[in-house]
Amino acid sequence: MKTWKKFAHVDAKTIDEASSILRSGKAAVMSGGTDLLGTMRFEILPEYPEVLVNLKTISGLDYVKEEAGALRIGALTRLQDIAENKMIRAKYTALAEAAHRTATPHIREMGTIAGNICQFTRCWYFRNPDNRFYCTRKGGKQCFAAAGENRYHSIFGAVKMCFAVNPSDTAPALVALNAQIKTNKRLIEAEQFWDMKVPGSTVLAADEIVTEIQIPALAAGAKSAFIKFAIRKSIDFPIVNCAALIGGGDARVCMNAVYNKPYRSTPAEEAMKGKPINEANADAAGAAAVAAAKALPGDRNKWKIPIAKAMVKRAILACA
Amino acid sequence: MPDDKEKNPDQETKEGLSISRRTFLKDAGLVVGAPAIGTIALTTEAAAQARKTAPVAQQAPAAAKLSPTQTTIELTVNGGKYRYAVEPHWSLRQLLRDQIGYTSPKDWCGGQGACGSCTVIMNGRPILSCMTLACECDGAKIETAEGIAKARHPIIQAYIDNNAFQCGYCTPGFVCTAKALLDKNDHPTEADIRDALGGNLCRCGTYQRHPLAVLEAAKNLKQGA
Repeated sequence: MKTWKKFAHVDAKTIDEASSILRSGKAAVMSGGTDLLGTMRFEILPEYPEVLVNLKTISGLDYVKEEAGALRIGALTRLQDIAENKMIRAKYTALAEAAHRTATPHIREMGTIAGNICQFTRCWYFRNPDNRFYCTRKGGKQCFAAAGENRYHSIFGAVKMCFAVNPSDTAPALVALNAQIKTNKRLIEAEQFWDMKVPGSTVLAADEIVTEIQIPALAAGAKSAFIKFAIRKSIDFPIVNCAALIGGGDARVCMNAVYNKPYRSTPAEEAMKGKPINEANADAAGAAAVAAAKALPGDRNKWKIPIAKAMVKRAILACA
Repeated sequence: MPDDKEKNPDQETKEGLSISRRTFLKDAGLVVGAPAIGTIALTTEAAAQARKTAPVAQQAPAAAKLSPTQTTIELTVNGGKYRYAVEPHWSLRQLLRDQIGYTSPKDWCGGQGACGSCTVIMNGRPILSCMTLACECDGAKIETAEGIAKARHPIIQAYIDNNAFQCGYCTPGFVCTAKALLDKNDHPTEADIRDALGGNLCRCGTYQRHPLAVLEAAKNLKQGA
């Protein structure tokens, strides 16, 4: 087993302390560590952090509570706790199911909701050990997947020349549920939270730390659902996943693992607005969702398009 | 075959001592219960210096120096209390195997968190010891497969009776995950078990037998067997 190169380790006591260490230079914050420690062990990133800031020692960030009908989840809440929470399962089904379908039980016991939405992409060029591919995501000039092995890559084009996809399961659920993500600096709409960064996946500033996830109460009659397709049901990252929120006069549909960031499908939403949930309508929405989809040259990721269509359809049907 | 030789920053120190580190720790540490920090805190640099300047017999006192990067943690492993000085970049698995001497947390996937072979129970949660930093385990209560076997938990006999393994390499991970499940849920369904064991890989492919073993263990637990 590869061991980690040396780094200093700080147990942060407050978010401000962690943030100030981030400001001071080559540092990284870590909660569950299941993503970051992997990138460090295999020296995937161009820069190896000199200081690792442990956020788990900050108290009061691990909670699930309902306030004025809205759901508030602390950044350090473990995915397993979200998946098992009876209230979340009943009212915010898409999120509970997404948390439940994330990774393995062990990783859910360790990994946190904030870590899950901030994780790095799984593109195999990006993840190649020892930073072998200096790609656009690392500040380079080339996306190796564009002409290389890209069977799991974006079907909705590139963002700043990067065809990698966002692998998070909870991210589309948060977008569908119209969540807001609170950091130590601001409140960000879930839909605006992700972006192609070098090398990250979020719009967070260098010293910004997620502190809370807020989800508004669902309108009366609205239901949410999450469907995921992966090679191995119990372990793998999604090939395509989809979360939907239908009813109460609203329709929100968001896929992930199909684009650089969670991909909210307005055509699918339009197709469902004010319409009853049935096979024909869901099928039409699925077709609308992938109408703009386009396989990369060589068609190696073409197989993802019918899967995406089916995921949208099934997620909508599951909201019935 | 998985390469289970983890590079230990302290490995070099073994060469300078007349007895192996693990044996020494077992004798000095496990018998006494709480090993002195000094014996563990020997860094590579300090050890190399000590070898140059002192005969073997005088090396132990030199080891008492704490490296500036080390922190001291106290943890409970299988009911025994331990106090160790650890480097920030040590994994919990490294600490358990190379320092304390519990060898059941295996390495298979190379530290990617993909196989579950290094599973231990920390504060009631089944976690991956290869993806956990040792320095973050201060105050933790840890259970390994050795502790579960020593406590004669019914899961062990159920695994034996159901032949729920072939080569046995992944078994400690499965046993820890299954025990954590039974601690939380004493009447699991087969679906619960398959869900809970979903993160443990078995390349011999004995998957069909794990649920049988866990179901039997749950039954025996209820009967107080």
